[in-house]
Amino acid sequence: MTDHILIVDDDREIRLLVAEYLERGGMRVTTAANGHEMRAALENGAVDLVVLDLMLPGEDGLKLCRDLRTGEHKRMPVLMLTARGDEADRILGLEMGADDYLAKPFAARELLARINSVLRRTRMLPPNLQITEAATVLAFGPWRLNTTSRHLLDEDDVVIALSGAEYRLLRVFLDHPQRVLNRDQLLNLTQGRDAELFERSIDLMVSRLRQRLRDDAKDPQYIKTVRSEGYVFSAKVEIREEHL
Amino acid sequence: MKAPALGGWPRSLFARVMVILLVGMALAQGLSFGLVVFERSQAADRLMLGNLELDVASSVSLLDMLPADKRTNWLGRLGRRNYSYLLNTGVAGTPPSAPLAQEAIATIARAAGERRYIGASAMGGPGGPFQVHLRLSDGSPLTIDIHPAPSGVSPWLPALLCIQFLLLLACTWAAVRLVTRPLKQLAAAAEKLGPDLKADTVPEQGPTEVVHAAAAFNAMQQRISGYLTERVQILAAISHDLQTPITRMRLRLDLLESSDAHAKLYDDLSAMEQLVREGLAYARTLHGGAETPVRVDLDTLLDSLVCDYHDAGQAVSLEGKVGLPITTRPQALRRILSNLVDNALKFGTEVGIHVQRDTDTRLTIAVCDRGPGIPEEELERVLEPFYRLESSRNRGTGGTGLGLAIAAQLAQALGGSLVLSNRAGGGLQAMITLPI
Repeated sequence: MTDHILIVDDDREIRLLVAEYLERGGMRVTTAANGHEMRAALENGAVDLVVLDLMLPGEDGLKLCRDLRTGEHKRMPVLMLTARGDEADRILGLEMGADDYLAKPFAARELLARINSVLRRTRMLPPNLQITEAATVLAFGPWRLNTTSRHLLDEDDVVIALSGAEYRLLRVFLDHPQRVLNRDQLLNLTQGRDAELFERSIDLMVSRLRQRLRDDAKDPQYIKTVRSEGYVFSAKVEIREEHL
Repeated sequence: MKAPALGGWPRSLFARVMVILLVGMALAQGLSFGLVVFERSQAADRLMLGNLELDVASSVSLLDMLPADKRTNWLGRLGRRNYSYLLNTGVAGTPPSAPLAQEAIATIARAAGERRYIGASAMGGPGGPFQVHLRLSDGSPLTIDIHPAPSGVSPWLPALLCIQFLLLLACTWAAVRLVTRPLKQLAAAAEKLGPDLKADTVPEQGPTEVVHAAAAFNAMQQRISGYLTERVQILAAISHDLQTPITRMRLRLDLLESSDAHAKLYDDLSAMEQLVREGLAYARTLHGGAETPVRVDLDTLLDSLVCDYHDAGQAVSLEGKVGLPITTRPQALRRILSNLVDNALKFGTEVGIHVQRDTDTRLTIAVCDRGPGIPEEELERVLEPFYRLESSRNRGTGGTGLGLAIAAQLAQALGGSLVLSNRAGGGLQAMITLPI
């Protein structure tokens, strides 16, 4: 079965070029220039993933993404294209409900890789918890992870910084609490956004993350080792509406 | 408030104006006070001498006509507040030297008649009591004992003068303050107009001139802020609008067959893209970040940064610990550090980050490498936007010339500074100083 991708971008050239590239990669592509066309396309056919431009005239990408998340297509994977260069803006766009983001200008093969990665992720393991626009803080034990600013806060409200790979690994655990994840799944789910090679073994990354969480490796509180299977995030995770 | 003692014209406008006004007004006041006192004493003297002449003439004539045995009874009635008559030869001595006394003696001699005048003798120092010796027509002696009244200045006058001086001081102080305070406020507001352009407006109140100056200053500040905002917007708009054509070009390239030209075009596009991205970032740092400061564990921030480089296959070492959370903007700090580390990795080897607490309120983070360093005379200039060393203008290591400028701007926005120096043994050290 070929994947059906819906591309929403106001620039006709970009729509056509992306469509041509993805079709060469074996995908089925539909294009839409605005929110109205996007909704029509979603009604018409089984779309597997939406590539959504953030900067659209009229209803912008953020609003469309929000609408998607509250309507009947709330499980629809969304890849956001942002035209802004700033890290904070990109993260904002992502956390407004998109599953991943890609900054313009991007390379076509990067887009293809991201689409495949998001599809793989969402098909393999849909998250137990859904981050929404209002509730963006994941809380466990005394810790809170602000998914907008990517800040991990300890009980004294001090920011404990995480590397990109550590953040992604923690997100995977927090999105799937009480679920045993094997090393292959973890590697797949944490694969980098910027096509960055994830060379270190999952075990090393888990031990780094435990250090950040001040977790005792011999008797871990949060990330427990499941012999010959993988790891499980054992603490209770809740989603909170908090402004940190 | 007072001018410093001898040896210097005070430096502040406040002190200078104060000194000029106070000295000038005090001199004028003192002069007119002296003039009044002089005038008054002259008038009093003339009046006194006139009275003395009439009085002595009539008294001497009266005593002259009285029989010798009746004279004693009259003496008490003829005496005045500061002179009395004695029927003896008095005390002999030298005539007094005070001009007023001499004038009084001459007046008495004239009034009594030259033939009755014998002489005068001083009883004390100059200005003290003295006696004038006369002879009545029957040959018996008559002496006028004179005690000159002290100066005609009332004791409350000096007190009044003091009060006047105090009043003068208070008024001068108030007036000078009125003039210099708005200047001070203006200077403070101008100083606050830092790189983030978030200066306070000057209150537009007070005397008309001050209101005008404050309004003009506020308008100027707004204009400057407007120009800079416009500059940032233009840069942002250009950068943004370039992104769509660059995206199209990259997509077209991806659809083309691979060739030599393909790779070169790709490199050119990447360079353009980097310029657009960093131009936008620089414009943003000029405009002041929107990020709010939070308490950050700096040790984990540095460690996670180093981990990111390790994960990307780049070796960066970390030395030192801070050991306590600091209040800063973590994304800005991360950006500064990654710009410095990227730079070090591009031009040098053995890249390391050294963090150290200097004092209780200050810490330094140094990013060091072993490499060519930067010629001493260019160390400051490389922090300017779009400035590049001649040796790095080729495309391989080129860059946009914005990385260090962004780092320097952000360091300033964090209340710190960035200083570059060459290391002994070769290589560059980029040192950030931050408040804790």
